[in-house]
Amino acid sequence: MNPYVAVAALIFVVGLMFMLPLVPALVELRRKSDALPLSVVQQNAGEIRHFADSFRIYIQSLEPILQRCVDTRTTDTGVLSDGEEYVVMGRVDEAQVRLLEKEDPVHPVLIVAGVDLVVPPEATLSKEIYARGQFSGGAKSSYRAILGERNVRLGEASRVLRWVHAVGEFTADVGCRLYGRISSDLLIRLQGDCSFLRMNAPRIEIGDGASPTVPAPRESSVPSVARPGTLPRLLQDGDFEILGGQVIRSNIVIRGNLHIHSGARVCGSVKSVKNMVIEDGVSVEGSLISARKMRIGPNCAIHGPVIAERELIIAAGTRCGTEQYPTTVSAPRIEFEEGVVVFGTVWARESGQVVASQ
Amino acid sequence: MISVLYIIVFIICIYTARHYFFTLNRLFGFQRHPYIDIDTADWPPVTVLVAAHNEEKVIANVLSALMTVKYPEGKMLVVPVNDRSVDKTREIIDQFVEEFPGRIQPFHRTSGKGGKAAALKDAMELVDTEVILIFDADYIPGAGLVKQLVAPFFDLEVGGVMGRVVPLNAGTNLLTRLLDLERSGGYQVDQQARMNLRLVPQHGGTVAGVRLSALREIGGWNENSLTEDTDLTYRLLLNGWKTAYQNRSECYEEVPENWPVRIKQIMRWAKGHNQAMVTYSMRLLLGKHRATLRERIDGTLLLGVYVMAPVTLVGWALALAVFYQGVAPLHGVIALLSLTAYAALGNLAAFFEIAAASRLDGTRKRICLLPFLILGFAVSIFSVSRAALSQLSDLVTGAEFHWDKTERFRKAL
Repeated sequence: MNPYVAVAALIFVVGLMFMLPLVPALVELRRKSDALPLSVVQQNAGEIRHFADSFRIYIQSLEPILQRCVDTRTTDTGVLSDGEEYVVMGRVDEAQVRLLEKEDPVHPVLIVAGVDLVVPPEATLSKEIYARGQFSGGAKSSYRAILGERNVRLGEASRVLRWVHAVGEFTADVGCRLYGRISSDLLIRLQGDCSFLRMNAPRIEIGDGASPTVPAPRESSVPSVARPGTLPRLLQDGDFEILGGQVIRSNIVIRGNLHIHSGARVCGSVKSVKNMVIEDGVSVEGSLISARKMRIGPNCAIHGPVIAERELIIAAGTRCGTEQYPTTVSAPRIEFEEGVVVFGTVWARESGQVVASQ
Repeated sequence: MISVLYIIVFIICIYTARHYFFTLNRLFGFQRHPYIDIDTADWPPVTVLVAAHNEEKVIANVLSALMTVKYPEGKMLVVPVNDRSVDKTREIIDQFVEEFPGRIQPFHRTSGKGGKAAALKDAMELVDTEVILIFDADYIPGAGLVKQLVAPFFDLEVGGVMGRVVPLNAGTNLLTRLLDLERSGGYQVDQQARMNLRLVPQHGGTVAGVRLSALREIGGWNENSLTEDTDLTYRLLLNGWKTAYQNRSECYEEVPENWPVRIKQIMRWAKGHNQAMVTYSMRLLLGKHRATLRERIDGTLLLGVYVMAPVTLVGWALALAVFYQGVAPLHGVIALLSLTAYAALGNLAAFFEIAAASRLDGTRKRICLLPFLILGFAVSIFSVSRAALSQLSDLVTGAEFHWDKTERFRKAL
């Protein structure tokens, strides 16, 4: 072979190999098939009620039909503009619900009830449900999502896969599994052995008789993030203990384990970089944050957010937040004893469980 | 010469390992987002500072966005810091003040030292809230962003907060697409890995927050710093405060759309970062303070990232010199390694990081542009090296730094 041709061929082949990885790049550069900015949530602020609000808007077009069915005490069926089938119920019809439930595995439909809705036990309804009246579910039933304009009650050992929003009170009987978002404009009440992930309501009661007698932290004393200069910050390396009955007037950051003994009061926020143990009757007027596990004993009162990066256990009689100042309780794994009350949001990323009080 | 080369190869290997470590942590490690779930609280009053110097093209966007943010009424005050603007920035701000009475309090600065830190320092006379958020004027915060950035301040260990920056004009041209990939790698992997590993997430000076008491404790804004954000990160750290990174607190920004603007921007960043390195690296690594060992090591490595460009160039030059001198330690393996270490493995580490970030972002096709990052890398390495040389020359001649504002490309509203 002519050496010049060989050199030219070599240069060509090397050039070709060099260009090879650039081919998909050039194609993408020209086509711009993935050139839009990354999607950033601009409008909603991660509201727990987002799905419920969207669903309410989604079924708005059924309002006239719903009204007619309620007035005439009849049932109507049809198809929404996106092809979703629905049934609108204007009267209590248990047989109809039973029929819908039986057909659900092969022919699930969206249920819109203009009156009280009673779901029989062991039902599975895999489309969204709207109830203008009271919603009462039988035991061992499964739902995808429920929007109730009044109270919503789930029978024992029921399951919710996506979300529930009750304008009235929401109650889950013993052993319910709540996998999605649960919200109420009034009250959420979970009975024993329920599991949960994310909940929000002005008041969340865990177990029967969850009305702790513990006084709320003084609401006007210290905000969760202290005003400048109001409280000093105590920064301590290593483990630390706050003695029983002691009153601490500062924010505390402990770079070790923290143990707060019975009856202590902290007029500020508390952070522990390791585990935190709080005994009974402790009051914290700011936030409570542990980078590992946190165990809060009975009858404590916490004003600000309660965050544990690994695990959180709260004993009976403890109150987090107040009616006037709701707060957030969050950890990957949360265990509430019956008798806990939270005002605001509970968020268990991996698992949340109600256990019997000891 | 050989021993210098050994040292350079060793340092490059450390940075390469660091890239891989961060990426693997992001892909397989425990992810820390401790404050993102705080959506209900007794929200504290907050002041939002918007730094603006000749920002007529973008200032209306950021103010409009801030006016729609979900935060308790009466608890958020927006302070546009109009720093000696000579365009219509002042008029636009004043229009917003009229339209939203009580919610915006402008700070019009007509004289004084140049630079963002100096402007923010002067604007502090209007701030009396414990939590301060900072946005540059080209940013567009979403409805939930302010709450998300305030949430970490419930942790009394946190002195600074940083959110994630996402380019809005990503699709404009090759440069913006490359910057989009770089930002993705920097935030989605680098910053979040540092957060996961309790290292030193960097305060970015925008989409960010600072605690007033922490700021006062460290002596306020450092107007002599070229990059007030890096400076703030290290002063907070040295004084026992942490910077929290919130990967899910995302905010759109505008990235440079042409190479000269990009080069100016990265040169300024390099100079500021190098300045912080000279000021803080020894104190951080060896000084008596409360930073942990891992924070000391990571913080020092972070301070050195912009020095790595000239170091790499020197390494290449030395490797070639050694090779042509006929010195072949370990049968030429060292020369070969030093030439290829960064060019191949080192770059692959950074590319691996960016590819992982794209995957975490759920994007598919933009990853195809990865080979073009060689171009961005080449421009950066020479620009950053030039910045380092210029900084050395300024040191000798005593020349003062000239503040170059990053040009905006958006059309004014």
